[in-house]
Amino acid sequence: MELLLLFISTVLINNFVLSRFLGICPFLGVSKKLEVAFSMGLAATFVMTLSAIATWLIQHYILIPFGMERFLQYVAFILVIASLVQFVEMFLKKTSPALYQSLGIFLPLITTNCAILGLALLSALNGYGLVTSTVFGFGAGVGFTMAISAMAGLRESMEFGDVPEPFKGVPITLITAAIMSMAFMGFSGLIAM
Amino acid sequence: MKNPIARLIIVLALISIGSGLFLALTYTYTIPHIEANAARDQEIAILETLPGAVDYQELEQTDMPIYVGLDSGGGIVGFSYVIEGGGFQGIIRMMVGVNPHEEKITGVKVLSHSETPGLGARITEPAFLEQFAQKSINDDFEVKEDVDGVTGATVSSKSVSEILKQSLPQALEQYRMSGGGK
Amino acid sequence: MKTGYEFFKGLWDENPIFRLLLGMCPTLAVTNAAMNGLSMGLATTFVLLGSNIMVAALKNVIPDKVRIPSYIIIIATFVTIADLGLAAFFPDIYKVLGLFIPLIVVNCIILARAEAFASKNTIGTSLLDALGMGFGFTWALTLLGSIREIMGMGSIFGMQIFGEGFVSWIIFILPPGAFLTLGLLLGLFNAMLNKKKTQCG
Repeated sequence: MELLLLFISTVLINNFVLSRFLGICPFLGVSKKLEVAFSMGLAATFVMTLSAIATWLIQHYILIPFGMERFLQYVAFILVIASLVQFVEMFLKKTSPALYQSLGIFLPLITTNCAILGLALLSALNGYGLVTSTVFGFGAGVGFTMAISAMAGLRESMEFGDVPEPFKGVPITLITAAIMSMAFMGFSGLIAM
Repeated sequence: MKNPIARLIIVLALISIGSGLFLALTYTYTIPHIEANAARDQEIAILETLPGAVDYQELEQTDMPIYVGLDSGGGIVGFSYVIEGGGFQGIIRMMVGVNPHEEKITGVKVLSHSETPGLGARITEPAFLEQFAQKSINDDFEVKEDVDGVTGATVSSKSVSEILKQSLPQALEQYRMSGGGK
Repeated sequence: MKTGYEFFKGLWDENPIFRLLLGMCPTLAVTNAAMNGLSMGLATTFVLLGSNIMVAALKNVIPDKVRIPSYIIIIATFVTIADLGLAAFFPDIYKVLGLFIPLIVVNCIILARAEAFASKNTIGTSLLDALGMGFGFTWALTLLGSIREIMGMGSIFGMQIFGEGFVSWIIFILPPGAFLTLGLLLGLFNAMLNKKKTQCG
């Protein structure tokens, strides 16, 4: 039950993109076409869930037992994440070349997606257990996918609208994000104590 | 053929080792300061939540950290304890001061939290926390009835109330059991 | 003349936030007050300096195939140093910046400059590049932070500038306000630059 609450809260209430500001670069950059955005979201969710598990294991079986977590955590985490992304890339290249092509440069960019490192750090900070971390990572990914797909859908419709010249591209995306973020703030009443 | 690959591995290994060493050094140099900062913060929190205390002593063998506040004459002012609980966006850590005589709260201070800046984060403000001072430890701390919550941060406010309600009886019991005196 | 450019380009022409659109995450997250923006900017500048100099120094030693992992280790090392340093000597700033200090590791600016510039230039020019980009980032963050703090709390760097009667728009220090302020600023800058172009004919 608690896990379900955590999941819902991570997807809607403390949405990684719209309230925690994690995952903004890809959010602004990728989301111009719905299918690409959605695939990006799925790939990111996959990496996030895996890295939640991997970083938890590193934290609890290597870093903490050796007392190194205070000064080696960031290096260890980011290396784990970068390696995971490499593996996912190689895996995709072999199993689904079409998907690999369509994601293009955005796949390696998942490494610098603040959301992935962010969730690993938050998980360690809040002392989540392995299962909780995994749910948290998955929820973060789902929330990210939702935000990025919603944004792509909105941008697709805006192609036909009349956006003033200086605002075309990133500015109007940001303003749209502002409105989306406000909408998501409305969810904060969802979980009553 | 082996050469290029060996080179890759050696360079990476050297960089990693160099990084590890440098960081271990930095850590050794900075950790005393970091711990001193933490100790100072803790002392400030203890003294703030126990008006009249100028010094403190940690109680041994308690489940939660309990600090007995002493006034300038060495008399016991009360005790403070540290407690953690779930907030809206993460864990809220608080120092709570108690007068065991009258079974009242003497002060509450939020040590750390991950609440929303501008909204939930306002649970650290005196305007909110001062409401808890002088309340009986058996109070319900109901937001909107016994205390006013922070506007727009009902969940954060309720979390604080909940943490207090859950922990106060236990803390008092711990204090008394550990021979904390009256 | 050219050396000067390596520094100044980061301030406006190639300003990481307003022109290159890199490093968005901290830009939105820690600009809820002017001081926070300034601190984050300076911390990032420190890491940029460290990483650019180190990468430029080691550029002939690091084999091409492992350059990204190597850069990542170097960057993460400097971020950890910044993190420990802030926790030890500037605890108040450390508490405010919190999670976003380690997130400097994935700030696209740093990896981008290491890859695009420091790996191909001398230590000297890489240092200038880092300084320019760092200060460009810093002033952009401070500007954003100031606007949001003024509109959202009526103060700047903690000093109240409006009287009691000022009704602050709290939305500015909340997430929507971050998106809004940056979006409006970018639109404004774009408009200013477009106007310049037409004036030059």
